[in-house]
Order: sequence, then C-alpha cells, then structure tokens
Amino acid sequence: MANKTEVAKPHLVRVYELDAFERLLRGIRVPACMITESHVVVDEQSVLKRLNALTIGGPADGNCCSCCGVGPFTTRAKQTAHYKEHWHTYNIKRKLFGKPALTLGQFNSRQDDNSSVSGSDSEGDDGGTNPVSDLFAAATRHCKAFFTNRYGQVFCVYRCILHHKKEELSTDGDGQNWVERCTRLSIPGYQRWAVLMVSGGHFAGAIFSGGVVVLHKTHHSYVTRRGQGQAQYNRDHHGNAPRSAGASLRRYNQAQFLEHVQEIIASWAEDLKGCSCILYRAVGSMNQAALFGKNSPLSRDDFRVRALPFPTKKPSFKEVKRVHETLASFEVYDSMEIFQKALIASSTKPAKQTGSDESKKAQKSPSKTINRAKSRERPARELPTQLISSEDEGPCFIDLDTPLDWIKTLSEQSRLGLLTNSRKDLINDTAIASCRSSESQDDNLPEHKEQIRKKKNKKKAEEGRPTKKGQPKIPASVQKMWTLIEDNDFTSLETIIETWEGDDLEAACNTQDPSDGNTALHKAAIAAKGEMVTQILTAGGDPCVKNHLLQTPYAASQDSDIRVLFRLFQGQYPDKYNYNKSQIPGPVTLEQLEQEKEKKAQQKKLKRQRNKVKQVEKIKTNKYLQLTDTQKVRLDEPRCFLCAHRLPKPPFEYDKYKFCSIRCLQNHRNVRPLHMSA
Amino acid sequence: MAVRVQFENNNEVGVFSKLTNSYCMVAIGGSENFYSVFEAELSEAIPVVHVSIAGCRIIGRMTVANKNGLLVPSSTTDTELQHIRNSLPDNVKVQRVEERLSALGNVIACNDYVALVHPDLDRDTEEILADTLDVEVFRQTVAGNVLVGSYIALSNRGGLVHPKTTIQDQDELSSLLQVPLVAGTVNRGSEVVAAGMVVNDWCAFCGMDTTSTEISVIESVFKLNDAKPTAITSTMRASLIDSMS
Repeated sequence: MANKTEVAKPHLVRVYELDAFERLLRGIRVPACMITESHVVVDEQSVLKRLNALTIGGPADGNCCSCCGVGPFTTRAKQTAHYKEHWHTYNIKRKLFGKPALTLGQFNSRQDDNSSVSGSDSEGDDGGTNPVSDLFAAATRHCKAFFTNRYGQVFCVYRCILHHKKEELSTDGDGQNWVERCTRLSIPGYQRWAVLMVSGGHFAGAIFSGGVVVLHKTHHSYVTRRGQGQAQYNRDHHGNAPRSAGASLRRYNQAQFLEHVQEIIASWAEDLKGCSCILYRAVGSMNQAALFGKNSPLSRDDFRVRALPFPTKKPSFKEVKRVHETLASFEVYDSMEIFQKALIASSTKPAKQTGSDESKKAQKSPSKTINRAKSRERPARELPTQLISSEDEGPCFIDLDTPLDWIKTLSEQSRLGLLTNSRKDLINDTAIASCRSSESQDDNLPEHKEQIRKKKNKKKAEEGRPTKKGQPKIPASVQKMWTLIEDNDFTSLETIIETWEGDDLEAACNTQDPSDGNTALHKAAIAAKGEMVTQILTAGGDPCVKNHLLQTPYAASQDSDIRVLFRLFQGQYPDKYNYNKSQIPGPVTLEQLEQEKEKKAQQKKLKRQRNKVKQVEKIKTNKYLQLTDTQKVRLDEPRCFLCAHRLPKPPFEYDKYKFCSIRCLQNHRNVRPLHMSA
Repeated sequence: MAVRVQFENNNEVGVFSKLTNSYCMVAIGGSENFYSVFEAELSEAIPVVHVSIAGCRIIGRMTVANKNGLLVPSSTTDTELQHIRNSLPDNVKVQRVEERLSALGNVIACNDYVALVHPDLDRDTEEILADTLDVEVFRQTVAGNVLVGSYIALSNRGGLVHPKTTIQDQDELSSLLQVPLVAGTVNRGSEVVAAGMVVNDWCAFCGMDTTSTEISVIESVFKLNDAKPTAITSTMRASLIDSMS
C-alpha cells in the first residue's frame, strides 16, 4: 500500500477542453520507448556501396575485437589467437547477459579467485534487470500510446482513439504519424465520436461532438430469461428449440430487439458518417448481428469502427457517457520518472483491482437466491442457556449469560476441592454440551444421558451374575484327574478311568476348569500327551467342548501328532461323537497317513534333483559369461551373448551376436563402441 | 544464380536442405518437386541425395556440412548413417557427434575454411568439427544471438547476416571470416537467413516469398551473377590480406 501512495496519480486533460489540450500538445514528441524498430529494408544500392567500400579500402576497423576492446591486430595469427582465447568467450557471454566486458587483467584475477569461469554466472555487478528494456516491453504491448511534450510531461491515450488495430502506424522519422494523429484530435471535426454498446438485451448508443451529446438512445428487451437466454438462443439454432411459453416470449423479444437496434442504427446512418471514430462493445454473434447485421451502415472493414479496449458494465446512457469520458481523457504525468514508476507498477499488477473495489465487493450482500448444491457458511447462533444436570441431582437450570465463563470459575473451584463429586460431574457434562453443535443440544441431551444410564446398569448386571452363581463345586476325583494329567502319570490315570465308580465318568471328563474353561481333554491335548488323549476320548471326553478362548481340544493342541491322533480317532469311531463342532478337519486312517508320507518323500527327492540341475546350469552359465564374444560365436551351443539364457527359436541378433530378448540386444550394443562411426 | 523454391508450401528451404560445394542433401518429403528443383540446377556438378536425420526432415538445422565433411547429431540411426556414407562422395568424411546442442545447423555456421560456433558448444565437438570439416573454429555471436548457424548464411565468397547486425560487428566478422558480409533478409523480411536459404559458391536457393530486392542482394553478396561487373570478384581476398599484413 505504501508503494501505491508513492505512485502519483496522473491528472486528466479532456480532448474537448480545447485550451488545456492545446497547451498539452506543444512540442509533442513520441518517446523512445514507443519506437519499435521496423523491418530493416536492405536495398541493392547500399549493399553495392558497402561491398565496394569493403573491397577498396578493406574493412576500416574490422580487424579488432569490439567485444573485448582489443586491436587492431597486426597479424592474422594474432587475430585468430585472440578469438580462441577463453577471455574472449567469457566476454561474449557477459555481453549476452548485458554485463560490461572484462579487461584481460580483471579476467585473470577473477580466474585466480574462481577456477571455473563460466559466462553465465549470476554474480551481479549491475543488478539484473534493465529498467529501459522493462519500460520498452511495457510500452509496446500497452493498450495506450504515449507522448511527451516540451514541458517534459508524459501523456497517454488509448490507441483505439488514434488508429484501428489493423492499421499499423510506423514510427519511422520520430513517429511523425503518431504525432499527426494526436494533434489532429484538437480539430473539432475529429472530436465527433460514436459509442455503441449491445449486451444481454440492452442497447445504448450515443454520438458525441466534443464533450456534448448530440444524439443518444437506449433500448431494452427481455431476452435473457434469468441467464438462460444465451443457452436457449444456441438451442434455437440447433433445431431443438424449447417450446415453453417463456421461451417463445423470449424468442419473440429477441427478434424484436434485433430489429429495433438495427432500426436505430439505420436511422443514425447520416450522423455516423460524420463521426471520426465509432467505438463499440458487442460480444457474441447475437450482439454483433445487432450492430453489423443486414442493411447496417456500419461495416467491420471500416477503420473508423473500433472495439472498446477496456471492460464495461451493462449498457446504459450513463455507462456510455463514462466510456466516452474515459476515452477522451489524456492521462498526464509531470515527468518521465513518475511516469516510469506508474507504468511499471501498472504493468506488474492489473490496474482494475484497486483496494476500494475489493472492499466494495466484500461488503456486497450475498445474493438473495440460495444455491442449495453448495455448502454454505453456518450461521452463528447463540448457545442455549438451558442445560440439564447429571442424573443424581435431577434437572438443574443454569441461567447465566456467559456459560463458558461460569464453567471456568466452577472448574477453578473444583481444583481447590470446594465442590462435591456431583457438581464436578455437572461441570464435565456442561463442558461437553457446550462443545456440541448448537442444533442438537437441547433436544438430544437428556436422551443421551438416559442411554448412558441404561448401559451402566446393564454392565453392573453382567458383573453381578458370576458372583451370584458362585464357584461350582468340582468333585475331588476330577481334580485328581487333572493333577494326574499335569503330572504326566498315564498309568494312574488309566487305572482311575478303568476303576471309575458310578456312571458320571463322561460328566467328569467334560467338567470345565472354572479358571480357563479347559476340560481334561483340553489339558491332555495342550500337554501333548497322545495316550491320555485317546484314553479320555474313549472314556467319553467330548471333543466339541470349548474353553474360554473358544478353542476345542483339537484347536487348543499345538502338536501335529496330537492333531493326527484326533483325526485317527474320528476315523476309528465316526459315530461316537458329533464331530461337526470339534473343528477336526476330517477322519483319517493309518493307510492314508502312510501314503501321504511316501508322497512327501518323493517330492523332496524331486526337489533335490532339481536343485542339483540348477547348480550345474549356474556353473555352466558362469563359465560361458567369462568367454569373450568371439569365443561365444565359435561355440556349438549358442546362448544369449549377454545373459547366457537359452535362445528363442528365431533369436534376436545383430551382426553375428545372438540374444534372448531385445533388451539384451540393446544393452549389449550400448556397451560396444559403434564401429560404423569409428 | 539464385532460385526460388518451396518445400510443401513452406518457405524455410534452409531447414529442409543442405547445400555444399561437393554435394547437396534434401529431405525426404511427400512431393518430389523440391528435389527436382535442386536436381535440375545441380545434378551436372554434384550429387543430390535424399536424407533423413533420426527420421526427421529438418536436416538443414540438424547437420553441419561443407565440401570436406559432414557432422550429424547422435540421434541419427545406423541405417541413415550408412545411407549417407553410401551416397556421398568418397572423400567426404561423415562423423556422428555427441553434443548437447543437437541442432548442429543452428549452432554452427561454416564455409570450407572457417566456422562460427555457439559460445557454449562442447570442446570435444569443436575439435571434431575442426578435424572433420577442416575449418578454423571461432566462438562468436551474431547481433546478440547465440544461434549463429541460424542467422548467418555463409559461402566462400560472401555471407548474409542477421539484419540487425551493426556495421561494426559486420566489419569484425568479415575480417574474421575473410569474406564480405552484408546484413539482410530473405523471405520478405525474415531474419533467420540461414533457415530461409541455402547457398554454395555458384548457386543459391531461397524461399518462394523472397522479394526481388532480396534476391538481388543475395546474388550480389554471394557473387552468384558472374556477369555482374563488380570490383569484388578477384580483388577482395587479396586486398583484405594486404590490408592486414
């Protein structure tokens, strides 16, 4: 912003303020930045003259190097030697970057400092960009033309006032053409301009003579249909015209509008003839047709008819007047320096985005229609004041203006130990509630509480159940069985089972240890006691009982032999238990087991053989790879020259080398020197 | 004499052809018109051959050549190189170079004795250039442009340089190259003179757009019109050497 204040605002001089304008034009000249070099025209005579001069006298001061400032050279040898020096090359590169050449002494000292001297190093002795070239670039592509006068003032005007964009004004001879075009604007006849604007069913046009409006007319028709007019217009032309009443109304209006504007233009034909320039804004075929359509007195080929070079608003008489005033005013800067600053500032950032405009846009109220497809900003609503307390105390109403402040003070108190537990709960709850989105607060909160309360009760009930039941009494005999399994005492277990008294043997076998839910079968399986497992299974230990980890005895056992035992048992007594839930994969017999064993042994053997073959092959390929290419060619059994793989049926080859793949061929060839270019 | 010619409606004939004193190369194009213009002018004196470089037709910008030799960029394929060797005269050395600035025609301007090269050209390439083409090599710019090959059209008898070259620079360059230079244009004002024309010691081809003024400038600077009575014809080289020694 500070920068902006530095750039002085130009003062404006209107074309029709004749006295001021004439004063401005005194000693008018075209500044250097406007003069672009036109194509050099080489004519035969000058060439011949030059060639003759070369022949007769020899190049006058040609045998010196202007880049390094050396010469004239006394001999050809010295000259060529200089052009081959590093110093010369370095200076050429410096010249390309717009830096001054170094003398031999400077170059040598620099080379001592920095062993590798390259011309493109970016150490800047003269600070990078050149303001003159910047100015030139900005001026030649600017939409305004610039002039200076005898007071040292710089002033500019839109190019469209001076010439049509297809009409190139040469700048030869100090830009006399430009000066002439500019000075003639002071003649009243050249101040008769027309401004015509057509857009979106609005037409506005006026003819000005000096600063006075001679003729003006505006016209409006309903052709846009809330921004759908252009789309409908396009569809009309593609044959699938919309048929609604609104659309046909719009179509009718469109035709009317076109006709009406054309009528207006036609009626102005005489006045337009007298205008020195006709400026228009008509974007799109529809609007252009209104201006340049049939029987129009305007033609696009006419150099007086020029497009407006800056953006405009909706066509209205006011806007037309504004456009005319903008075009008619010359911006005057008091000195070249001020102008340069302003120009570079304006060319780096677009002029229309000034601060005031932006702030205006920001203040603009949002449009009345709401686009429901897009997410909107959430409106800021006040937090509700009513909250419900924790379950112990029942409803509690908090009537405070600033609930958050209140929470803060409360929490401080709690830190000091001033509050009871229930109050603390209340603080936590309100803190959570205030963080919650405002909409859900007042309705959902009590329900939520209720749910939490229910959950808590449920949990309590679950915890209570085992205590109510109490520990089931485990008979001493079962306890003894478990200890025997743990002690790995098979014979005593066998005797216990065989000499079991009563008929609850099965129940005893299936009694679960309350700590982990393991039955005797589980314990035996985990301890990997094969005989015990079969013993218990025959005694009536159910293989489907699951422990607390939801494992059946089969799943609990980690030993593969034990697992096989379970399967064998299933094969032996398929009807003893319902094995569906035992997770045993299926019955098996001893014969099947033996067959499997044989199969495995065979596979192992095969594998060993294969490995042997592979190793032999590896040794072979290693040997092959150590051979030179010529030896490889001589071998009876050809392999890939690069990777020693087997060759495909028609091998990839170049010269006499053969390869298994294109990749190998390329790699081989990239390594070898190309004998063709040698 | 200077002939106007077009390559498939394109006036940049220097892009699609290469002309030296001992051979001429033209791009493989859709139409044979281009080739036949060269053939008609040159076939009695030197061979005219069809050539492509890395499958492209822009041979004039990719290669650098004089009567002694030819340099092609590394992108040239083996078949193309073989074809070039087969079709050119035996005493012409053909060499492929590994150079970062692969459009050799744009970075090197040469006649049969001297060559101007881009200041950044590789030292190895410079050596190969000096050996193959048998020329003296100078690093130089033309009118502030590093692409010397594009902005100088050079023969043993004269040279046409970028139109914005200052008189001082022209004098220096012509003293360095030992041929008279003139600033000028081809193809109705095009400043890339080497792309717009090809020239050897007795013949020049330029784009169809070239104006008659431009043609006459070209004919006088390259001394293509032997009938023209100028003092340059024989005295030029001698007087230049006299003035310097």
